[in-house]
Amino acid sequence: MASRREFLQVGIAALALPISAHAGLAPAASALDNAGPFTPLYKVVFDERFPASVAFGAEARSLGLPAHSIRGDITDLWFHDLDAQWKKKPAAVAGLTAQGPLFCLERLAWDHGMRVVFRGDHQYLPAGSIEHILTGPESVVNQAAGLQSDGDDWAPRIANLVARVPEGPSAPSKAAIRARAAAPASAEAEELISWVIAPVAGARIMRRA
Amino acid sequence: MRVPPGVSSEDFSTALQQFEEAVGKEWVFTSDADVAMYRDAYSPFWGEPDELVASAAVAPDNVEQVQKVVRIANTYKIPIYPISTGKNLGYGGSAPAYSGSVVLDLKRMNRIIEVNEKNAYCLVEPGVSYFDLYRYIQENGIKLWVDVPDPGWGSPVGNSLDRGGGYLLPQFRNHFDSHCGMEVVLANGELLRTGMGALPGSKTWQEYKTGFGPWIDGIFSQSNFGVVTKMGFWMCPAPDSYLAGTVTVPRYNDLSPLIDILGYLENTGCTNGMPFFGSPLLARGPLGQAGPVPDPELTALLDREGGPDPDAMDAYAAKKGIHHWSCTVSFYGGPQANAGNWEFAKERFSAIPGAKFDLHGAYKLPLTPEVQAKFNLPQFGIPSLQMFSIGARSATNPTPGEGHVWFSPIIPRTGEAVFEANRVFRQAAKDLGLPIPPFSLPTCYWERAFIFLFGFPITHDVETNKKNRAAFKKLVAIAAEHGWAEYRTAPAYQAAVMNTYSFNNHALLRFHETLKDAVDPNGILSAGRYGIWPKHLREEAKA
Repeated sequence: MASRREFLQVGIAALALPISAHAGLAPAASALDNAGPFTPLYKVVFDERFPASVAFGAEARSLGLPAHSIRGDITDLWFHDLDAQWKKKPAAVAGLTAQGPLFCLERLAWDHGMRVVFRGDHQYLPAGSIEHILTGPESVVNQAAGLQSDGDDWAPRIANLVARVPEGPSAPSKAAIRARAAAPASAEAEELISWVIAPVAGARIMRRA
Repeated sequence: MRVPPGVSSEDFSTALQQFEEAVGKEWVFTSDADVAMYRDAYSPFWGEPDELVASAAVAPDNVEQVQKVVRIANTYKIPIYPISTGKNLGYGGSAPAYSGSVVLDLKRMNRIIEVNEKNAYCLVEPGVSYFDLYRYIQENGIKLWVDVPDPGWGSPVGNSLDRGGGYLLPQFRNHFDSHCGMEVVLANGELLRTGMGALPGSKTWQEYKTGFGPWIDGIFSQSNFGVVTKMGFWMCPAPDSYLAGTVTVPRYNDLSPLIDILGYLENTGCTNGMPFFGSPLLARGPLGQAGPVPDPELTALLDREGGPDPDAMDAYAAKKGIHHWSCTVSFYGGPQANAGNWEFAKERFSAIPGAKFDLHGAYKLPLTPEVQAKFNLPQFGIPSLQMFSIGARSATNPTPGEGHVWFSPIIPRTGEAVFEANRVFRQAAKDLGLPIPPFSLPTCYWERAFIFLFGFPITHDVETNKKNRAAFKKLVAIAAEHGWAEYRTAPAYQAAVMNTYSFNNHALLRFHETLKDAVDPNGILSAGRYGIWPKHLREEAKA
């Protein structure tokens, strides 16, 4: 599987294409259903402070994924669950959260040979639109075109995307998709990021068991 | 693959091969992807040619392997940079102070060698994190607390060597002061133990600090004279109860007696928790936390040329019916003692006319989960990553950066100093175009001095970072002109800060350099850390 650095390098080139070109490349979401195997997700994290994240968690749950709610702080989840699990065996996690939880989990996962293999930055723009910048396996990024028509209801589709990150090496890609969407009412809303952290073959592993 | 400066590709290749023989091939990291893990996420040079980056990393598992690595580095003159867990974000993270160094990553050395409940101490390796130690204590039912910093994913060894601080009783809050005994691998690979550890078979290594003769532990903190491989720490016996209350005082100039009375209460041991100053009027919490943007009338009063006018500030506060200052004090101990000490504190604070008191509560420890959720966990010896969940975006900071470095000068523990520091730094902030709040309150980590703490934003925008770096250095210089100086800083600013400690033609730095040349003649250890450069790089660094 490509490293995050490789994702970013490819992403820069991909982003040079017009946004509409990316969208046009994407097959229908149903096409992915026959793909696989997908990375098994040990936990899917959502933040109950943010409506989009809650919708993401609800969709993850409906997909049969083990959704876990936080309120910004990942200490409990990591300390009481992930740390023990990762010491036994690295296991992929996904989420739609603010930057802080991802920042922590990414660094804590590094020492267990895991990396961010999918990332989506979801930024509300002035004039009622949202931009989704997705970096990850080509098969997943190509499924994101529907975000253009999702408008405010984008988060469930993201849950479907993170559920379909292929297991093992995959060609990296990047896309930027804009859609009409009203920004959350709170002036203090954080920018949300979707992510998948998964074991990567050959990555540095640091901790003793 | 990057090669350390001044080292031939051939020598580096040979050294890496010997590192692999010493620690195992899988514990030497040279790929770009692996080495990138050691970048400083909060680097003020992010993405610029001058960003401090590693060339490789090597991760030994035990002291013998550290000795081997150091000897190999000495043979080939490879600059190495030891880190513990590399989590001191805002102070350099895991990136070296000298670009191209090989990171000596001690994270695998995570053994908790001893936790002694009866005499309240522990002995740990550098890779032990605060979370590791807390988990060990919990799982073994040990009735001790560890004084943790915020956040808690760093290591006691690394944080104390960086002279970090926590939130418990004063004798534990200063993490370097609370250590007792260390083991150090010197630059020639020799092993040294300090304090009572120098006595073969010593029974009191973690129980008596100074041993016999010169007490040298201090030279291994904020320095580059050795690789610390074990450290002892005194721990806090789990207190029985906790009580916290706040005093508020009405007038602008009441800050001075408020600080003086607090000093008396702390230095006599009446209050033993970490105090926090705030301002109901300015809607500011501890650590300079921003509240709502103050109304324009108040901002104008604060921005007055020469500093706020106390009478005008008092008139404003009276009009609003809000007290100017608050101080939250806390007590760990028996319930009756806590209640009695709170009453005594109230009696003393009542010397300030109009003082009001609010008892937050008295709690039996350990706290129930419901009560615990209301508190900052490090105040109860519980490590946390909660600070990363605090939204970076706020009304006063609508476009947050990627991180921060702290500008943190030490100032006197007086009201006059707080007013003067605000006047000086507020003016400097205006001149430099910095987002410093209109008024900042100091933090009380240390018993006899304040830290005046500002988070300096780090972005991924080169021009903004360039401007901020210049401003940071300007603030360092302005502080020094007023007799204030940083207690700790990121590698990007360590030389600038060390330069301010210049009494008698930099006698202190010259002494550091004399030591450096004696104990590390090849200059392989952490070149440049805290402004101490080895002889062969000294002139270049000062140019």
